[in-house]
Amino acid sequence: MIGRPANILPPEAVPIRLEIASGGARFGAQALDILITFGGLFLLFWALIWANVLDWSMLATLFFLLVFLIRVPYYILSELVWNGRTIGKRIVRIKVISADGQRLTPHQIVARNLMKEVEVFMPATTLLSGSFQSGWVGLALTLWMVLVLCVPLFNKRRQRLGDMIAGTLVVDQPTAVLLPDLAATQGTTGVGFVFQPEQLDVYGRFELQTLEQILRNRPKTEEQRRRVSDVVHTIRRKIKFEEDVAARDEWDFLTDFYRQQREFLESRHLFGDTREDKFHKTGS
Amino acid sequence: MQPDAKNDDLIRSARFRAEREEGWRRLEQLVAQAEKSGMAALGYDDAVALASLYRQAMNSLSVARSISMDKALLDYLEALCARAYLVVYAPQESVTGVLQRLFTHGIPQAVRRSTTALIIGFLAMVLGGFVGFMLYQQDTSWFFTFVPSGLSDGRVPGASEAYLRSTLFEDGGRDGERLGTFATFLFSHNTRIAIFIFALGIFATLPSFVLTFYNGLILGAFYAMFHEAGLGYELFGWLSIHGVTELSAICLAAAGGAQLGLAVILPGNMTRREALRERGRDAVKLVILAGLMLIAAAIIEGFLRQLVQTTQMRLLIGWGIGAAWLAWLLLAGRDTVGQDT
Repeated sequence: MIGRPANILPPEAVPIRLEIASGGARFGAQALDILITFGGLFLLFWALIWANVLDWSMLATLFFLLVFLIRVPYYILSELVWNGRTIGKRIVRIKVISADGQRLTPHQIVARNLMKEVEVFMPATTLLSGSFQSGWVGLALTLWMVLVLCVPLFNKRRQRLGDMIAGTLVVDQPTAVLLPDLAATQGTTGVGFVFQPEQLDVYGRFELQTLEQILRNRPKTEEQRRRVSDVVHTIRRKIKFEEDVAARDEWDFLTDFYRQQREFLESRHLFGDTREDKFHKTGS
Repeated sequence: MQPDAKNDDLIRSARFRAEREEGWRRLEQLVAQAEKSGMAALGYDDAVALASLYRQAMNSLSVARSISMDKALLDYLEALCARAYLVVYAPQESVTGVLQRLFTHGIPQAVRRSTTALIIGFLAMVLGGFVGFMLYQQDTSWFFTFVPSGLSDGRVPGASEAYLRSTLFEDGGRDGERLGTFATFLFSHNTRIAIFIFALGIFATLPSFVLTFYNGLILGAFYAMFHEAGLGYELFGWLSIHGVTELSAICLAAAGGAQLGLAVILPGNMTRREALRERGRDAVKLVILAGLMLIAAAIIEGFLRQLVQTTQMRLLIGWGIGAAWLAWLLLAGRDTVGQDT
C-alpha cells in the first residue's frame, strides 16, 4: 500500500506531515507484542518450575496475576513509559500520536488499549482456537469478529475502534537524512555553461526537483549514462541551447543548469512569480 | 545579489541552508538521544537547547516551504521537525500526579456526569435479577437454563437445606496462601470480564446490556433457590460482603460501555467519531473505577468472606464498604480545581 500522509498541526502552527503506519506494520507489531509477552510468560514459568523455587499456590497466584498483566495493562504501561511505543512498535518503528497535534495524554493511551480486549484478543483467540459455535449464530459471530479485525483496513487513517475513541493515530517514525546541497557543491571544473534568462524561462519547480533527483545519483553503467545524455538532449531542445555539449561535459551541463535554474526560479519567486511547473505561461 | 555574507557566491537558498545547518544537526543528535533513552537522560542545557532548536527548525521548515526549491532539504526538514515534535510533545505528566488527579477529581466527577449510563448499567443487573427470580418462581427448571453447571457446584433446586447452608458458612479449610491464590484468580478473571463488558458497549450498548442482564439472571435464580430453601437472608449476607462492591463494579463497567454505545446511537450534533471521543473520557474512568473496585472485591471475597462467618457482620462490612465508595464518589472533587486529565 502507498503511504498516506497525516497532517498534524502542532502548537507552533507549522503543519508537519507524518506517514500513517501500514496495516502490515500494525499487524507485525501486534504479533510481536503477543509473541514477546506470552513467550516471556512461558519461558518464565518453564524456568520457575524447573528451578522449583516456588510452591504451587505461589506459582498459581503469580500465573493469574501475570496472565492478567500481559493483556491490557502491558500495552498501557509500555505506551505510557515509552511515549506511545510498545516493544513490538519499537521494533517495527511505529508510534502512537494524538490526532489533534497535542501531546498524547494518559487518558488516550488507556482508552485505546482497553478496546484491545474486544478488538484483538477476543477475535484472535476465538478465531485461532477454532472453537466457535456451529450454525448460523456461529457464522454471524465469526463474520462480525472478522469485520471488527478489518476496521483499520477500511478507514482512511487506519484507526482501530480504540483509536477513534481515544483520538489517536499510529504513524511511522520519521527518519531524517540530510543530503548535500547540489547548488553549494562547486563541482563545475569544466567548461562552465552559462544560460540566458529566456532559456531559464521554460521550466518550473516540478522539473527542477525532478532534475535534482537525477543529479543525486552519478551514472555508473553505460545504460545510466545513455539516460543522462537523453535528459541533456531533451533539455537542450526545449530551451534551445545551441552550443555543443561534449559527452564528458554532460554531467557538468546538468549541474550548471540546475544551479542557474534554481537561482532564477528563486529570484522570480521573490518577485511574486511562483512557477510550479512548465505550464506556468499557459496559466493553468 | 549583494555580496554580504562570506558564502556570497552561493545562491540565496543555499545560503539559507548553510547558515542553519549546524543547528539542525545538533537538534537531530539531541532528538536521537532523547528517542533512545528518554527525555530524562538529557541534561539541563541539552533540554533547553532542544526546545529552542526545535522552534528554530520549525521556523526553518516554514521558510523553506515558501522559498526553497530544494526537494532534499524540504524532505529532511519535514522529517526532522516531525521527529523533534514527537519528542518535544511527549507526555510529561508524572505518574503520581496523574493518579492523584484521577482519584481526587477525575473519577468522582466522571461518575457524577454519567447518570444516564449508570442507570442503564444498574438497570440491566436489577432487571436481570428480577426476571431470573420471577422465572424461577414459575418453573424451577429455568435454573438449569441460566446457570452453567460449573458455577452451581451442587447448589441446584432440590438440594438439601443443610448442604446449601454449608456452602454459605464453610471456610473450606483454606489457609492463607490458598486464599491469596483464590483472590488473585478472582481479580484477574473478573477484571477481564469487566473490560470485556465495557469494550463491547461500542456496538450500540446492547452486548454490554445483555451480558450484565445475564449476570443478573444467574443472581436472581440463585437467590430464588436459596429463598425457597428458607436461606434468603443468609444468602443476602453471603453475597453482600463482596457483592456490593463486585456487582457494582460490573454495573459500572456496563455503564462505561453504555457511554460508548450512547455515543454511537445518539451522537447529537457531533459526528459519531467526535461523540465517541467526548464520551470516551468518562467511560474510561468508569472502567478504571470498576477495575479498582474489583481488586477490592477480590480481596474481600478471597479473605474476608471465609473469615467472617456471621450474616450480620457480613451485611455490615459489605454495605459499609458500599457506603464508603458512594461517599467518595459523591463528595470528592467538588471544587473546580484540577479539571479533567
